[in-house]
Amino acid sequence: MLRVVGQLAALVVVFVVFRWLIGNLVTNYSRLNIGFDFGFLNVPTQFQIAYHPEFNPRLPVWRMVLVGVKNTGLAAMFGIAVAGVLGLVIGIGRLSQNWLAAKLSAAYVEFFRNIPPLVAIVFFSFAVFLYGPLPHLRDAIEVGLPGTASTLLVLSNGEWGVPGLRNTGNAPLFGVLALVAVAASAAVWVWRTRVNERSGEPHHRVLWSLGVLAVVLVGAYVILDGPVVIDWPQLSENRRRLASGFSVNSGFMSVAGALGLYTASHVAEIIRGSILAVPWGQTEAANALALTNFQRYRFVVLPQAMRIAIPPLINQALNLTKNTSLAVAVGYAEITTLTQTSIGNGRPAVQSIVILMLVYLGFSLLISLILNIVNRRLQLVTR
Amino acid sequence: MQRRLLALLAVLALVAAACTTGDTADTVPVTDGGADDTSADTTPPDTGDTDETTDTTPAVLPQDEGGILAAVRDRGAVRCGVNDVLPGFGIVDENGEYSGFDIDFCRVVAAGVLGDPDAVEFVPLTAEARFTALQGGEIDVLIRNTTWTATRDGQEGATFLHTTFYDGQGMMVPASTGFTTLEDLADATICVLQGTTTELNLTAVFNARGIPFNPMTHADNETLQPAYESGQCEGWTSDVSQLTAFKASIEEAGGEEQYIMAEVFSKEPLGPAVPDGDSAWAQAVDWSILATIQAWEFGLTSENIGSYDGDDPNILNFLGTDGFDPGLGLAPDFAVTIVESVGNYQEIFERHLAPIGLELEGSPNDLWTNGGLMYAPPYR
Repeated sequence: MLRVVGQLAALVVVFVVFRWLIGNLVTNYSRLNIGFDFGFLNVPTQFQIAYHPEFNPRLPVWRMVLVGVKNTGLAAMFGIAVAGVLGLVIGIGRLSQNWLAAKLSAAYVEFFRNIPPLVAIVFFSFAVFLYGPLPHLRDAIEVGLPGTASTLLVLSNGEWGVPGLRNTGNAPLFGVLALVAVAASAAVWVWRTRVNERSGEPHHRVLWSLGVLAVVLVGAYVILDGPVVIDWPQLSENRRRLASGFSVNSGFMSVAGALGLYTASHVAEIIRGSILAVPWGQTEAANALALTNFQRYRFVVLPQAMRIAIPPLINQALNLTKNTSLAVAVGYAEITTLTQTSIGNGRPAVQSIVILMLVYLGFSLLISLILNIVNRRLQLVTR
Repeated sequence: MQRRLLALLAVLALVAAACTTGDTADTVPVTDGGADDTSADTTPPDTGDTDETTDTTPAVLPQDEGGILAAVRDRGAVRCGVNDVLPGFGIVDENGEYSGFDIDFCRVVAAGVLGDPDAVEFVPLTAEARFTALQGGEIDVLIRNTTWTATRDGQEGATFLHTTFYDGQGMMVPASTGFTTLEDLADATICVLQGTTTELNLTAVFNARGIPFNPMTHADNETLQPAYESGQCEGWTSDVSQLTAFKASIEEAGGEEQYIMAEVFSKEPLGPAVPDGDSAWAQAVDWSILATIQAWEFGLTSENIGSYDGDDPNILNFLGTDGFDPGLGLAPDFAVTIVESVGNYQEIFERHLAPIGLELEGSPNDLWTNGGLMYAPPYR
């Protein structure tokens, strides 16, 4: 009974505090004759977004929010990929018998773990782009594709051009078919696994599912008469922008790259700790079976280490996503930068911040959800 | 058990309701106290003669008896909202002393209203906080390189007075590029400060002319300047007065020679603003500022105004020597006090804006008799 009262009291306190905060806002807003509504989402954005020539300033503010969400998502995805791969390599490297590899990995971890992420981003932007070795776009380095007239890469201090995909008419349909192909190959994977479990015949599931994927994709590509073609990067006539290809700007690379490098140091420590947490007997058993180093990690140590590593790795993924808000310092057009610009241009601050919070909350919940599913799959099933 | 729980819930809900109504009613005095505290904090310590009442009573609003003019006289000081980080216009030196073009106009108002150019409490404000401070009565007058716009006159509850500086947005490019018009910058990346009217003007002008461009926005000039100097952006847009200061600093530091395009593509009249609804105070501030322009037109400077011995009736009226009083609530000799202690418009301009590279002659800020826009209504 006492416990119930305690919990109710806590609930009431939370409610009162929240109510007070909202009441405060409403009272002060009405005193200043300002309403609390979200109608501003439908008025024109009025400013041009950097490296988004297709964005028209007359589009409503909610479209600007979508651009911001997209850019935050891209930076977070790229950053998480870099941090994950690099962190895994360095984490294993720290435990290596190779003196140089171990020391280099330790130095990397100590360096990146001990600088603030904002400093890393600004340093990256200054060292690689602003004062870096790359020329201005008009004198950009164009790396040709050997044997053809196409350009593979355009490198400058403002943006890089990489090959992209161009829609020749049927791309959306092809996208749907690509999803079908992925689903089909996943189904085949499951089927082969079952076959293997039931009859013991070799599953060859990688070959099977890749084969299905390739057959469906190639079939769709041929039937739809080449729905997408590779869009090689090329500079415009006046050499001031990319006329074609996929543009990656310096802000994106500074944010995603610096955060990836920074977070990799944390990931490496988590990986190292998780590997050390796997009982030594497992390694000895693997050695007794004469497994190679790679086999020992791939089949014995890492599957068990990952079980320990996943929950703290979720935290790192969330941190990296939230740290993309530091892009304000280098002017990358992600959601925080755009929200600040928008507030500076007269959009209501409180409402804009509420939307900003909801966006980050959405990202965090999504990442937690995905990684929690992975976590559940990896957990030991005990009877 | 269940019933007892329900009863308990009901009681708690009642308590909660009582608490919340009490709390919301309390919010107004609480926030007022907070606002006053900040104004007390930001006030420089050397004006220690402020009476205790400013800390406890709500701010003086225009509708209060006597208005702002009476409140300023009671207090013995003008509270002036200023910029403290813009070279030339308003900046604080290492001794905590304010100086600059806008700062001098605060002193002009103090000299005109109170007869003492040092009777000013400077309240440094950010761009976002300035109108809130004016609406809330935290300051009496806002002189902070503020552009006079319709929205600010309307929604922000400010009354703008005579413009002290006609500015406009311009474009700077490295001189070696040879670019002279905005059309030369088609498809180019252009540096601009984030979240400013400058950014909106840039978009508006380029879109209106159908010139494609790519903005490179940074939150502050410390990262914007390296982006421009490294050539990441080919043009830098801002108010001409600020570009002039940046041009000087880049060239002084040994950087490339810079060129500011002749074309000015926005109107930025910077001037003082007072709260809506107190015309007596507005007139007092306005005529104090106009006195500096009128003195310039008459050729009166801080050196010679005290020793004027001519018999031009207009000038004698202006000096108040014959006791002429147009009823503005200012001392008859307020113009003498202003010009003697601070100077005429030209002197103030030459003191603060010439050093950062701005020219008075031939600019819109020249006297109307020289083709400029500085024009004071007749003082009679």
